[in-house]
Amino acid sequence: MSQQVQRVEHPGDLARLRETLQAQRGAEKACLAICAGTGCQAYGVNRVIEAFRQELDQRGMADQVEVLATGCPGFCERGPLVTVKPDGIFYQRVQVDDVSEIVETTLVGGQVVDRLLYEDPNTGQKIVHEEDVPFYKLQQREILWINGLLDPTRIEDYIALGGYEALTKALSSMTPDEVIEAVKKSGLRGRGGAGFPTGRKWEGCRQASGEPKYVICNADEGDPGAFMDRAVLEGNPHSVLEGMIIGAYAIGSQTGYIYVRNEYPLAVENAAKAVKAARAYGLLGENITGSGFDFDIQIRRGGGAFVCGESSALMQSLQGDVGEPQAKYVRSVEKGLWDQPTALNNVETWANVPLIIGKGWEWYAATGTEGSKGTKIFSLVGKINNTGLVEVPMGVTLRQIIFDIGGGIPEGKQFKAVQTGGPSGGCLPEDMLDLPVDFDELSKAGSMMGSGGMIVMDESTCMVDIARYFLDFLKEESCGKCVPCREGIARSLEILDRICAGQGRAEDIPLLEELAETLEGFSLCALGQTAANPVLSTLKYFRNEYEAHIHEHRCPAGVCKPLIEYWIDPDLCAGCGACTRVCPEQSIEGENKAPHVLNKARCIKCGACYDVCRFQAIVIRSGEIQPQIEAES
Amino acid sequence: MSDLIKITIDGRDTLVRRDTTILQAATDLGIEIPTLCHHPALEPYGACRLCTVEVTRNGRSRLVTSCNYPIREGIEVRTASDRVVRGRKMIVELLWTRCPDAAIFQKLAAEYGLEKPRFEPQEGELCYLCGLCVRICDEMVGAKAISFVGRGIDREVGTPFFKVSEACIACGACEFVCPTGAIKVTDVTDKPVRPLLLDFDMGLRGRGNIYIPFPQAVPNVPVIDRDHCLHFQADACGVCEVFCPPDAIDYDQEDEFVEVDIGAVIVATGFDPFDATQKPEFGYGHYPNVISGLEFERLASASGPTAGKIKLNGKEPKEIVFVHCVGSRDKLEGEEYCSRICCMYTAKQAHLAHDKIPGAKITVFYMDVRAFGKGFEEFYDRVRAEGIIYRRGNPSEIYKRGDKLIVRAEDTLLGKTIEVPADLVVLATGVQPRADANQVATMLELEFSADGFFAEAHPELRPVDTQRPGIYLAGTCQAPKDIPDTVAQAKAAAGRAIVELSRLRRERETA
Repeated sequence: MSQQVQRVEHPGDLARLRETLQAQRGAEKACLAICAGTGCQAYGVNRVIEAFRQELDQRGMADQVEVLATGCPGFCERGPLVTVKPDGIFYQRVQVDDVSEIVETTLVGGQVVDRLLYEDPNTGQKIVHEEDVPFYKLQQREILWINGLLDPTRIEDYIALGGYEALTKALSSMTPDEVIEAVKKSGLRGRGGAGFPTGRKWEGCRQASGEPKYVICNADEGDPGAFMDRAVLEGNPHSVLEGMIIGAYAIGSQTGYIYVRNEYPLAVENAAKAVKAARAYGLLGENITGSGFDFDIQIRRGGGAFVCGESSALMQSLQGDVGEPQAKYVRSVEKGLWDQPTALNNVETWANVPLIIGKGWEWYAATGTEGSKGTKIFSLVGKINNTGLVEVPMGVTLRQIIFDIGGGIPEGKQFKAVQTGGPSGGCLPEDMLDLPVDFDELSKAGSMMGSGGMIVMDESTCMVDIARYFLDFLKEESCGKCVPCREGIARSLEILDRICAGQGRAEDIPLLEELAETLEGFSLCALGQTAANPVLSTLKYFRNEYEAHIHEHRCPAGVCKPLIEYWIDPDLCAGCGACTRVCPEQSIEGENKAPHVLNKARCIKCGACYDVCRFQAIVIRSGEIQPQIEAES
Repeated sequence: MSDLIKITIDGRDTLVRRDTTILQAATDLGIEIPTLCHHPALEPYGACRLCTVEVTRNGRSRLVTSCNYPIREGIEVRTASDRVVRGRKMIVELLWTRCPDAAIFQKLAAEYGLEKPRFEPQEGELCYLCGLCVRICDEMVGAKAISFVGRGIDREVGTPFFKVSEACIACGACEFVCPTGAIKVTDVTDKPVRPLLLDFDMGLRGRGNIYIPFPQAVPNVPVIDRDHCLHFQADACGVCEVFCPPDAIDYDQEDEFVEVDIGAVIVATGFDPFDATQKPEFGYGHYPNVISGLEFERLASASGPTAGKIKLNGKEPKEIVFVHCVGSRDKLEGEEYCSRICCMYTAKQAHLAHDKIPGAKITVFYMDVRAFGKGFEEFYDRVRAEGIIYRRGNPSEIYKRGDKLIVRAEDTLLGKTIEVPADLVVLATGVQPRADANQVATMLELEFSADGFFAEAHPELRPVDTQRPGIYLAGTCQAPKDIPDTVAQAKAAAGRAIVELSRLRRERETA
């Protein structure tokens, strides 16, 4: 769209613009809101969108029905997601083949396509409307709700939905100190992991001496399985920009940076478009909305080093230096980027700011717990039915998130643990499920809020193996500067490797604990200081699994290959031969329709037979003495 | 000014400057905090974490690195609390595991009571990534030829793309600063690395850019070699200034011209040794084990580069050949005259070699042996009696066969050509007038005799005077002579100068 836009020269201009845009949109116009987030793109949603456009073109309906490629509303498990508006009919797992039927039946015929509706697995009931889907219904989506309503590449959509209202309010009717006061009173704490009170950070930066001052948006989300920030930045970049502009106004900064990892191409693209559009409307740049306040944002792409999500390493990287953490004895609000006062906040934190200013801190502080206010987005992944993004008020329990919203564990398996806080967090067992989720409670339990990754594990997860996985990740991602982190993680990993291989020694657990103490106390940055958390929390709650590995050479979850073996239960084997066909080593033999036998000497424990068996006749055993039926030769 | 603040270190109250570090403050109190990546001339880095201490501030205690924690009023520091020592011990164990062969960790491990690391030691690694090399190249040299490459456990020090660095100036600072010998400047660059050699030791010993030219130098203080000093050449470095406790380094100091009124001058400018490369048949400068008499002198000296052990490249020669009259009594190359010292210094050196290398086979080639001084003939007899073989003949050629040198000569007593194998050949290089004698002569209006040495006023009656009143000669600037003759002439010159000075004073008093 190359149409000339009208710059917002005055706060009143924005209100008028909004009215015009709302009038143009027409509330009753039919609209297909299709999630075009990264998750749904992986499901092939771009082809679905194209198919809808073609279908509507062919039927001559292109003018009557708008196809809206929206940001991610969060229900990634069921993508691609299509919502037919204004009725709000919710279709899931829509493929190209379904397009003409939706157009024919729903848009033309006004009927619902029954087979594409979401079915509640608990009640078996089909749900027609988006707002009735339990996954959404039980959330409190203050930030994510808007993702499904707008095209993130169109600033007009955001403005029509009330966007930049908070900005004009702050610039026209609040002093910087009042903004800081409001953020302080709201109780907003940093969503990046540490949970530092945002208002206090801004105040420190405002009071620090030195010009220029900088604001930074940390969009270097690197935790395995976490994608909240991606969804916000790619799904609604203007909420982040608006938050940053308000923050810059409060602090007294003229320059901001969005540091976003290059592995998020859509987020980079949408954020860049948003910056450009905001500049065109006079919402960014010189003399924003005629207030006399100047502020501009640049986008910097990160190379994908996990440690660059650490604030001091991020600033090094922004400066063009190697992304290595620095000593933080002097806070970055005093000496940050280029040794200047700098306020760095995470994507989600910035996205919360317009809510606080727009709706007032009183409204904001009404949600949440004593020490943690507002909502928090979690990315729910792992052994969970409803993979996706979940936004809940602080203080809900893990059980509510995992079972009520997340739909529990697939295949009827038992819940075992939930890992929160990414590689630096910890694993919490079933008896901690009623823990209210807030910064302080999670820390007390030996985990942490982190940026919001939540990995659910079921009974088939080995906790030693999980600790090993996270340390393996950290071994690669430690910057390698300081000794405890670089060497300590590598040595801890060696010990875990050994335990998982059945060669654990009695002294290994105390040695792990000793290494953990050094990592925690002596490492340079938070990556190393928290690197032992996966080990410590699994040792705290699942010590018996470690002991089983070490003393009994047994992996209770049946994961660690050197400690398990596959065995065919002759009572269950139907002799269908499916396993013999998939076995890459030809290690299964047997007559047709007679129980088969697995030759352990040749088995490489790949698990192909286990996955293919329809009779649950293939059994993983660990450390158990089992009856043997010799293969007849 | 309240620039001093009060802190407590290990229970001792102390006043420190606000801009100092805990590490410095503790060192000043004589409390030792171990470090592995700290260097006083470089910015604190905080990577080894060994200098971690426990700091209590406002009732809260935390672990901080003492090298870069900014000092704050009223903090209480514990440099060796249980927690600190436990962590340090683990860090030492981790690094010892990484670099089991590095002496520095073997020593630290012993200090912390570690018998053997509980982890599987790595093999062959010496670098523990303290970054001193990387930082000195950046902060001091300004070349940034090396940096860290890779992340996490794969981190290492390297040049860009592991190719020879164009930026490297081959200064060797990295190699110098490395605590474990892990980095060699030749790993970084293919530029020729020319070590600086100490002239006094005939280039047999290296020296730094700051050095004392020779023992008993006057004044006996170090000098900076400006031609090679990074600070003067590239406006970088300045490490010495940081290190020198009494602040004696002054980069602005310049040479001075001093004018003095004097009544007499004694010229004692010495000689140049003959340059043996002028006789290419001996292979001097080509074969490393053909050396000059002066070089042998340094090798045999207890304060020399090998502490008196006669060794070349770490190997002790078993067969040694001395060659007389190199550059003396030679009408083709060198000088016609006899240098007067070579016969006897060769005898002494042969004796020393015999003494220091038991069983060594030593041969001396000579034309005539001129043992003219007091006790000289007796010494010559003694040396020969020790089993040192004197063969009359002037070698025509020295060449290499296998790993031996072969000295080829006609034994003029036998009338036979002989070949003597040698591990070391010492050329008895002679005495020549100084190459810059002309400058001195022009300045003082001196005359030369036919051999190129300064001419005395009369060879028999006025052996220390020159044609100019008040200017006297002493030592080898006048003619080759040995130490007793030099001392005698010097005393005579001093006596002549005293006569002249007395005359001048009397003239002034009576005027």
